[in-house]
Amino acid sequence: MIRSLCAILAVCVLLAGAAVFEHLYIGKAFADFSGELEALYEKTDEARANYEDARAVQTSWETRKERLQAFLPHNDLARMDNALSETVRLVAEENYAFALPQLEVLMHLAETFPNTYRVTLANIF
Amino acid sequence: MVLVMIRTAIIFAVLLIVMRLMGKRQIGEMQPFELVITLLIAELACIPMADTSIPLLYGIVSVLAIFVLHEIVTLLDLKAKPFKAVLSGKPSVVINKNGIDDYQLKRNNLDVSDLIESLRSAGYFSLDCIDYALYESNGTFSALPKEGYEQMQTSLPLVILDNGKFNAKNIDLTGLDEAFFREILRNQGIRDTKRVLVLTADGEGKIYLQEKGRKFTTFRVRYPQDKTW
Repeated sequence: MIRSLCAILAVCVLLAGAAVFEHLYIGKAFADFSGELEALYEKTDEARANYEDARAVQTSWETRKERLQAFLPHNDLARMDNALSETVRLVAEENYAFALPQLEVLMHLAETFPNTYRVTLANIF
Repeated sequence: MVLVMIRTAIIFAVLLIVMRLMGKRQIGEMQPFELVITLLIAELACIPMADTSIPLLYGIVSVLAIFVLHEIVTLLDLKAKPFKAVLSGKPSVVINKNGIDDYQLKRNNLDVSDLIESLRSAGYFSLDCIDYALYESNGTFSALPKEGYEQMQTSLPLVILDNGKFNAKNIDLTGLDEAFFREILRNQGIRDTKRVLVLTADGEGKIYLQEKGRKFTTFRVRYPQDKTW
């Protein structure tokens, strides 16, 4: 019985620890990414953004994505990839009018993405 | 991750309730919660393994959540007796000194044919050679035969009437007809066959008859032209 109780406790602690880590890690990853997107958005809005700026955000996302894939379904993360690739191309072509809506989509995704993994009734069912 | 754990716990609880409601027929030598775990573990392990877009961690977390649930349920099963009855069920005595307990059969989604099949699997061919029979909580069948029961099983009894319905195939096997058995019932004061839970006839003329909610009777009849099987 003591062995069972210890096992239950150990696994619960492990799962709870992993859950807290996941919650903090995902929250921070997307908060940082949102910051980078906002900076790029401001530059794009002022027509100062160039390919290097957009590519830097993309590279940063790709590094982050490799780690996030351990916690989140890869298909969901791929949505971000698609929008970001399109933004990089539009910024490189200095097509700021089309790049801005794409960046807004990305910022919205980055803001709402962690919520889809929060413990809420809607997400459970 | 917490979502995966909660969802696993919900599926576990729902499956367990469904398995308990399905009765002993669906279990087969496992406690209901053990069967639920067996059903879940394979799927939980396989899906992230086969679908590379799902993080492997989802499978690991689900399996660990199942492990915790298993340990909790096992502890409750051992330490809390009332909970054990809710969780694993209780043995159901389906044959007693009065014959077949129809209510217990229905509670476990079984019928007389299932019971007779279980008896035959256990090596007992005649309903009247059993004092007690029960389905354990894990679905296994146990029977306590009467003393000298081997001498009572000299011929194979066939189910003629099961829950008010004649078994045409078995009547054909006897070489007799429905009217013959209706006459037997009339002689026993039974006009409506729906009142009969079971009627079996063996090749030597021994009839086992039980009305619903009543004690069984056995008696002998002589078949026309001394038929036997």
